[in-house]
Amino acid sequence: MMIAAAWACLLSPLVGALTITIAGGRISRRAAGWIATLSTFIAFGGALVAFVGLWAADPSDREHVSTAYTWLAAGDFEVQVQILLDTLSSTMMLIVSGVGGLIVWYSMGYLAGDDEERRYFAYISLFVFSMLLLVQAGNFLLLLVGWGLVGLASYLLIGFWHYRPEAVAAAKKAFVMNAIGDATLALGLVLLIWETGTLEYSGVFEQVDGLSSTIVTLVALGLLGGAVAKSAQIPLHTWLPDAMEGPTPVSALIHAATMVTAGVYLLVRASPIFEAAPDVQHLAAILGAITLLVAGFIALVQWDIKRVIAYSTMSQIGYMFMAAGIGAYGYAIFHLMTHAFFKALLFMSAGLVIHHLDGEQDIRKMGGLKAVMPRTHIAFLAGALSLAGIPIFAGFWSKDGIVAAAFATNDALGAFLYAAGLVGALLTGLYTFRLYFAVFRGEPSELVKEHTHGHEAHGEGPLTMLIPVGVLAVLATVGGLVVIPGVWEPFLHWIDETAEPLVQATVTEDYGTSAIAVSLGLIGFVVARRAFHAGRQLVTNPGIWRVLEHKFYFDELYDALFYRPAAALSVALRRNVEEPVVERSLDEIGSGTIQVGGEVARVQSGLLRTYAVTIAFAVAVLVVVFVAVR
Amino acid sequence: MGNVIVWIIWFLAAAACLGTGIAVVSMTNPFYSALALIGNLASLAVLFLLLSAEFVAAAQMLVYAGAVMVMFLFVVAYLGGRADAPWAGGPPLLRGAAVVAAVALLTEIVVVLGLAWGDNLQDPAAVPGSFGSPAAIGEAFLTDHLLAFEITSIVLLVAAIGGVVLGTTREKEEAA
Amino acid sequence: MDGPDVGWYLIVAAMLFGIGALGVMLRRSPLIVLLSLEIMLNAANLTLIAFARQQGDLDGQIFALAVMAVAAAEVAIGLGLIVAMARRRMLLDVDQASALRG
Repeated sequence: MMIAAAWACLLSPLVGALTITIAGGRISRRAAGWIATLSTFIAFGGALVAFVGLWAADPSDREHVSTAYTWLAAGDFEVQVQILLDTLSSTMMLIVSGVGGLIVWYSMGYLAGDDEERRYFAYISLFVFSMLLLVQAGNFLLLLVGWGLVGLASYLLIGFWHYRPEAVAAAKKAFVMNAIGDATLALGLVLLIWETGTLEYSGVFEQVDGLSSTIVTLVALGLLGGAVAKSAQIPLHTWLPDAMEGPTPVSALIHAATMVTAGVYLLVRASPIFEAAPDVQHLAAILGAITLLVAGFIALVQWDIKRVIAYSTMSQIGYMFMAAGIGAYGYAIFHLMTHAFFKALLFMSAGLVIHHLDGEQDIRKMGGLKAVMPRTHIAFLAGALSLAGIPIFAGFWSKDGIVAAAFATNDALGAFLYAAGLVGALLTGLYTFRLYFAVFRGEPSELVKEHTHGHEAHGEGPLTMLIPVGVLAVLATVGGLVVIPGVWEPFLHWIDETAEPLVQATVTEDYGTSAIAVSLGLIGFVVARRAFHAGRQLVTNPGIWRVLEHKFYFDELYDALFYRPAAALSVALRRNVEEPVVERSLDEIGSGTIQVGGEVARVQSGLLRTYAVTIAFAVAVLVVVFVAVR
Repeated sequence: MGNVIVWIIWFLAAAACLGTGIAVVSMTNPFYSALALIGNLASLAVLFLLLSAEFVAAAQMLVYAGAVMVMFLFVVAYLGGRADAPWAGGPPLLRGAAVVAAVALLTEIVVVLGLAWGDNLQDPAAVPGSFGSPAAIGEAFLTDHLLAFEITSIVLLVAAIGGVVLGTTREKEEAA
Repeated sequence: MDGPDVGWYLIVAAMLFGIGALGVMLRRSPLIVLLSLEIMLNAANLTLIAFARQQGDLDGQIFALAVMAVAAAEVAIGLGLIVAMARRRMLLDVDQASALRG
């Protein structure tokens, strides 16, 4: 029963996507939206049934692999189309289909009236299917298929408004950077096939201990490369802020709640490999910490509402990488879940604001929206409090757990991570509340006043947008209560069954860390409030401000290092190889053939007698041939 | 004695054959060429008789010389002066090549015949007196080679239709 | 068999064939070409009859009769063509019929 439900969960969005594609213009745009939404909710239903079934089962019986058919077979090596249903994948399934369903529902309101709505819903159903394939895959190859497909869906959706050159450029950038990660991931898999002869999770993990440490390190590096690209960690992070060119629901679903968390999922799923290559695992934690800090600093000076939230996402995923890097897998996934709730909530409330202001995203032009959009205000505030880690909101329980686990590792690395995590908490408080105050508090700005008069009639937004936001607001508030350290920790135990944690913080360590982190968050709140009321920016030093505004010059660096040489090379090749050699030779072939044809045509003199003579000669020659052969 | 007579007859017939053949090819007046061809056909009939092909010889005279050549002469008469055929040229390369080809073919055939003479061309089979008689031909046509017989008749039918078509389609245009 | 061997007949036939071939290739009047064609066909007939006598097999003579019938048909059509050409006031010259040029 639960296996069937798991398959239904996986295939339902695919059916939705195919239906919308094949029906094309024959269904209304609204119908396309309903098909997408319903197919995602059906997937959620399937995930729920699978989850409940798994929960009710005996703890030793919580790992099921269901194989549909053998996809590839080459000698001894085989790859099946198979899904894995265990505690980790069932949790991911719920998150993806649940939050996904709410966001798809929300997009019905957000994209209403767009000419190409159907295309959007087909793409987004494709995305949900791909993400589910990624988390449900029973072997690495199917994971790679899902990995690539989510990258494709991301490309299609970032560039959804294809008549905007910025959107197209952003889509290409995202795809290319993800391709780098895909390549390293694929190379890692090749090594696995070479050394272990299989790509099934169970098969690989059994053999990990027997491999040489070089091999395991290389494989782990390959997997980490993929994770870093997909989750927008340094150094492959520059695509994420640009990806905000896509519609806001896309940002919410793909670039906050699910796709960017695929890297974290991979780190947890492949934990046996990483545990056998501890250097790589620690590298993951370090990269996470660095990203956490860098993104937090950059977020302090951004003035595009979506970009602030995007950098915040980058930062929070840094926390998850940190957790996975030190072996606190349960907390990594826990933070993944709570982050999905509050980050999607933040994006969607921002979407309500943008929708209300007819596409304006510059927070310098906003202000005083609290009075105009009270419900959005509450939702956004819930998300902000959760993000900043204020108790009892969801983010509090998950983020502090990670920092405490860093403390519990008791070594130099742990100390660094601990410090980074706490600084991050301060930064989070700063940028989150800077955003909150700029958008919602103070006097209504000119722009807001203009829009208030026009929109008074229909309120903050259609129900299809408000209900999902409301649901997420509730989740962002209470969703963290599945882990109360020292009291009950069902979520952690659940994930522990699949991935045993390497480190456990004691309850004292946990609450002690929380105290420090919450205080830092509150300090951030106070500082941001003071700065807002004084009308000042958070960063005043012009030098620092410039560096942060240019996002630490990463884009410029990559442009000089990679793009310019590649462009120069391609121009040079075009001028010196393509045109003179390839094109010219093709022309020559053509004109040469015509010339030869002309020459040959002269044989056709039209004189019958010539033909007769030719025949006679031919017969003469043939007679000789036949006689000689005989 | 009988052998000598046969040789003489063969020699005369062969000479007539080749002589009239050359005449056909070289005359400028097509009427004379057609008459030469009739002579050619007649000498060939004699050769056929020497080879015990009596029916074929008779058919040759009746059909070929009697009907086909008469048709030819009709057409030549119809064409009148327009049928005159001078020896005027054509590219010399062509003429040279034609002669070379023909001579080459001839030489090859003679060589092959020479090579095969000793083995395959001695001792012709002994044949009954009825060999080549109408009865024997008729029997062969109507039993072993019935299909060829029927198809030949179809070919003749098609040719007749073709001839009629070629002859009449232009009448409307000419009238208009 | 009385008289010359079959081989001598074959030589006569070969020479006749060569004469006919020369006529086809060298003459310009379609009438003469047709006549030369007839000579070639007859040469083939003679060869067939000669071999029939050599092998004692009547099939050669049957074949020769069929050739004769087909030759008659071919002459009929050829003459029809020549008459058509004449009717259209075309020059009776084989070199003029060069529509197959190029």
